[in-house]
Amino acid sequence: MTLLEAQKLTVSASLDGERVPVLHDLSFSLKAGRVLGLVGESGAGKSMVGRAIAQLLPPGFAATGGALTFGGVDLVTMEPEARRALLGREIAFIPQEPLSALNPVLTIGRQFDEHLARIGVASRERRAAMLAAFDAVHLPRPAELLARYPHQLSGGMCQRVLIAMAFASKPKLVIADEPTTALDVTIQARVVQLIAEMQARDDTAVLFITHDLRLAAQVCHDILVLYAGRAAEYGPARNVFGAPGHPYTRCLQLANPAMRERRGLYALPERMPGLRAYNAMAGCAFAPRCPLAITQCTQAPPPLAEVGPSHVAACIRAARTAEIAPAAEPAVETPAAAPVILEASALTKRFASGGLFRRAEFTAVSNVSFALHENEFVGIVGESGSGKSTLARLIVGLETPSEGRIEIAGRDIDGSAEADDHRRRHVQMVFQDPQSALNPRRRVASIVTQPLEAAGHATWEERLARAGLLLREIGLPGEAATRFPAQLSGGQRQRVNIARALCAVPRILIADEIVSGLDVSVQAQLLKLLAALRRERGFSMLFISHDLSVVRYLCDRVLVMLRGEVVESGLTEQVFAAPAHEYTRTLLAAVPPDDSEISARPRESGDPVLGPGPPLSRG
Amino acid sequence: MSARPAWLRSGRVVFGLSVVVLISLVALFAPWLAPHDPNEQTLLSTFLPPFWAKGGEAAFPLGTDSLGRCTLSRLIYGARIAMTVAIVASFGAMIIGAVLAHIAGYFGGWIDWLIGRTVDVWMSFPPVILSLILMVGLGTGLRNVILAIVLVDWTRFCRVLRSEVLVVTRRDYVAAARLIGFSHWRTITREILPATTPLLITLVSLEMGIAVIVEAILSFVGMSVGATTPAWGQMIADARQYIYDSPWNLVFPILMIFITVLGFNVLGDGLRRTLDVRLTETQRA
Repeated sequence: MTLLEAQKLTVSASLDGERVPVLHDLSFSLKAGRVLGLVGESGAGKSMVGRAIAQLLPPGFAATGGALTFGGVDLVTMEPEARRALLGREIAFIPQEPLSALNPVLTIGRQFDEHLARIGVASRERRAAMLAAFDAVHLPRPAELLARYPHQLSGGMCQRVLIAMAFASKPKLVIADEPTTALDVTIQARVVQLIAEMQARDDTAVLFITHDLRLAAQVCHDILVLYAGRAAEYGPARNVFGAPGHPYTRCLQLANPAMRERRGLYALPERMPGLRAYNAMAGCAFAPRCPLAITQCTQAPPPLAEVGPSHVAACIRAARTAEIAPAAEPAVETPAAAPVILEASALTKRFASGGLFRRAEFTAVSNVSFALHENEFVGIVGESGSGKSTLARLIVGLETPSEGRIEIAGRDIDGSAEADDHRRRHVQMVFQDPQSALNPRRRVASIVTQPLEAAGHATWEERLARAGLLLREIGLPGEAATRFPAQLSGGQRQRVNIARALCAVPRILIADEIVSGLDVSVQAQLLKLLAALRRERGFSMLFISHDLSVVRYLCDRVLVMLRGEVVESGLTEQVFAAPAHEYTRTLLAAVPPDDSEISARPRESGDPVLGPGPPLSRG
Repeated sequence: MSARPAWLRSGRVVFGLSVVVLISLVALFAPWLAPHDPNEQTLLSTFLPPFWAKGGEAAFPLGTDSLGRCTLSRLIYGARIAMTVAIVASFGAMIIGAVLAHIAGYFGGWIDWLIGRTVDVWMSFPPVILSLILMVGLGTGLRNVILAIVLVDWTRFCRVLRSEVLVVTRRDYVAAARLIGFSHWRTITREILPATTPLLITLVSLEMGIAVIVEAILSFVGMSVGATTPAWGQMIADARQYIYDSPWNLVFPILMIFITVLGFNVLGDGLRRTLDVRLTETQRA
């Protein structure tokens, strides 16, 4: 039977007295034992669905039309008292940031106990219930865990505790809002598997909200693709990903770098229109970015039309979606015998920790040696804490190595002022978080030409001219020069960040997780930008990332780091095709398969997630 | 978007700034505003009440003191001392405190330790006692009052600013500036200082209020300017002896100090609320 059903649900925000729909005529249904994936870029309204269910809409937002029913009862018009009785018992949540969802001053046991008390478990049964719940999520030594505080656990463990808590009341519906975004790849795989396991055990319905198409393809039975608050496509996962009916779905798929073979990326231009902008549009909200758009598209909003068995898409050009293909990208020929430009030998960095009396040392980077050739992109992969970022900081000079040697363009970096100048001329760094890396009080033109300011003698006119050139090169409009970083989108800020590093024309770029936390279409734009810059300018790059598919797309060679050591290195193709080290195999296995492969892959009946569910019927 | 910057749209700032500007103007134009010479004694009309009370005279709008000096004129001239001390002393304390705070927060390590411990030791003396001791050592006079306030209160700036500098120094844009080749000096002045300036402005305006009080205390105990220069603290000290004969003489200088300090504090509070990035960011979210 249908557990959760939305019928023409509309949620509106009031902006300066004007009512703007955030979710528009959204219809979907979720049955017990099924997983429905909500996917789309940030700002598509994914989280708003979860918030509408809990009626935790931000101030000024309200459900203004349609119905949202849970077990036949309308959640929107329900009494707050009745809803409270439902939430946490029948409807449970798994949050995005496990660490901030737990109270740091209470033990895990105390918090779980409170939750159990609320859902009505007798006090003498609670301990046994907690231990059983921890056992079900495979947490080791559950009895000890009860006395621990959240900060003593890793993010993955916290998330498992929260999953145990969410499923403790045997809820009928679990809402998981980006439950793995904050976690490492290997932990992400385990957490996803765990949610699937628990879901299969209790025949729970799960609403899985994610921006990661691969993850959705791996976990979900049905997929609802949202664009600008509207349903773009809705249907069984294998049909949606196997034969997308909406160009948006297809474009998102093509924006994700493939793991199996290297192919060109399709980068959606621009970004999703703002709330007000798409409200004013007469036609399809996706039309301005759509490669298939024709004049008809801008005249009337396309209705949801059948494109396959129980598979609908809101596109009048649905039949031609498969024609979208990324432009062929000229393959970058790996320099065969290019000279070495950066060489690190036996680099080690130890940090002192502990107090005055209990001195302890922590080795962040241990005996790392590698060489970077001219015009070569080398990827460094590993989980958080593997020493990737410390290695980057050692090379740019933000940290001093405890042992080992760095040689840049034939010169030993020995700590002298001349050597540091030499390094500065050759190496620049792009920081991870543009929010922190761009001075909020400087205008874009001032930021990107900071190297000229450092050199002295540059007039403001010269700097503006240079900023114009740089902005064109990184694909930002010229008027961005006079803006402040806060006035730019996340992707644009990251471009500014790259432009500043390029201003001094360095021969080596160190990029630390520069595409993480961005939407897949923005990520594709940046990756293509880096590839294009490399073709035009020719520079070397150390590209640090936890995302293997991105490294797969961009890098010639790859270093795999584990606990401060390089455990495997080699040509990207070779390492990905035939990993030699156990850890590399684990990392690769943890990456969800490419989403387009899901229809081709036979599903085993024992597979809890991908087991053939009952056929989808829409009411 | 209004043409006025955010900080000018706050009621607190507008109120505080009006009070401060008004008192500054009064101090600046004292010779034109005061009806009498502040030291001119009219021994025939001592202890006059304000003009609206019984027996008051229009020639002395706020009455006279034990020597028949015009209270209003003395208040107006007293504002000169108060504002001079407020502005010079708080800027002096700000400069010393800010320089040391930026050095400590930016470089860290032993220099941070040294400055931090100095501040700790310095702050362990009660500030009023410390300034009294300094005054005894330095001798009286306006310049020494200012010096005493600077020497006592730079720690206030140093401690608060240091933690702010620490936060800003950890931002990636500071690291980026260093990697681009900015010198330490340039990094501090171009990247860090603009971020700490709002806090600096707020602290200065609060410090001005404190300086007014400290000056009043010092002149009350007769350690500030000489007897020939009218100061609010001195007026309170004079009036204290005749509190039953002429309470007005006590009320007016106290009221002036109260209004001035209130103005500075409300201004500082308003600036803190509008300029503090963290506060405004959380409100926006």
